[in-house]
Amino acid sequence: MAGGTSDISELDQEKYDADERVKVICLGDSAVGKSKLMERFLMDGYRPEQLSTYALTLYKYTTTVNGKAVLVDFWDTAGQERFQSMHPSYYYKAHACIMVFDVQRKITYKNLANWYKELREYRPEIPCIVVANKIDADMKVTQRNFNFAKKQGLPLYYVSAADGTNVVKLFKDAIKLAMSYKQNSSDFMDEVMRELENFELEQKEESSDKEENVSKDEKTNLP
Amino acid sequence: MEFVAKRCGVKFDPPSIILVYEDRKTKKIRQRVMPVRNFSKFSDCSQAAERLKNNARHRAYLEGVPLRQLERLHDVLRDHLRGRTLEESLASLRLDPDQDLNKLSDEELARKKAQMDELFERNRKRKEDPDFVYDLEVEFPKGDDQETCSWDEDESEDGF
Repeated sequence: MAGGTSDISELDQEKYDADERVKVICLGDSAVGKSKLMERFLMDGYRPEQLSTYALTLYKYTTTVNGKAVLVDFWDTAGQERFQSMHPSYYYKAHACIMVFDVQRKITYKNLANWYKELREYRPEIPCIVVANKIDADMKVTQRNFNFAKKQGLPLYYVSAADGTNVVKLFKDAIKLAMSYKQNSSDFMDEVMRELENFELEQKEESSDKEENVSKDEKTNLP
Repeated sequence: MEFVAKRCGVKFDPPSIILVYEDRKTKKIRQRVMPVRNFSKFSDCSQAAERLKNNARHRAYLEGVPLRQLERLHDVLRDHLRGRTLEESLASLRLDPDQDLNKLSDEELARKKAQMDELFERNRKRKEDPDFVYDLEVEFPKGDDQETCSWDEDESEDGF
């Protein structure tokens, strides 16, 4: 891509902190079918938001998880993958990752290791699904064991954007994983911040001066 | 169909598209040379292909030739005008499973994607198809008896 890519850190991403919003990112080489998978899930007629200055395509999707409305932003690369690396903001605040390779092209499978390494640099804990796409081209690949997923302890989905095999399941599961990551985030700082916020609210309600210091100590000693 | 298309090719000077076809009535194999007019290294190949396919004089002969193929022939003609060798041009229109597509320019990548799209369209299930299922789930048996993927054989080198 010939230059002209603005800094995606300009994008407002604080919105992803809201309980009902999740961000799911797609990773993988050029032409493995990332956009085709998105389009198959959302079906025709859907028009994504093209942020060409950021080499980014946003697909917005609304659904309900456990009776709660959830707004999902799927981030697709729009050519940015050709730099063999994504801007840090691409990973920022992501809650789950869909990592795709093309079962007809070994190099896209081999490159998973690089994508995964970069993902883990920025998001060490988020759930990640490995996707073997284009199984319609050769159904025999579904008999094969792709060691990369197994070795990293990641779920592997055999899918086809063309005939639709397991596409909807993939995205629904990715959303569920993103939601559960968000709710049970093991990110220590997130939890500390949440505790502190709660504490301040409680304090205002209590309005009892003498107990203040005691309760503060108790709170900060939480595990 | 009056004419059965057999083979296509190009001629660089003057830029022309060649069609070998069979005349249904006479059962004779014939060759038709169709010059590509107003064509430069800046032309849009898909538009030029469409223009040729709908050309009043050539239409009947090109009925059996897919638009995509005509577009590719125009790609070869344009590549030549841009100073590319025929080998380079043909390689860019072929899919090489070992090629790293991350390293291609926008236009080169678009060519590869167009090639892939042909298989995609052939295998595609559309909403209008009677057997279309939106949420199509297929379980593929998992177990230790699964074949090991040959792609994993050189594992140690890649640090997988």
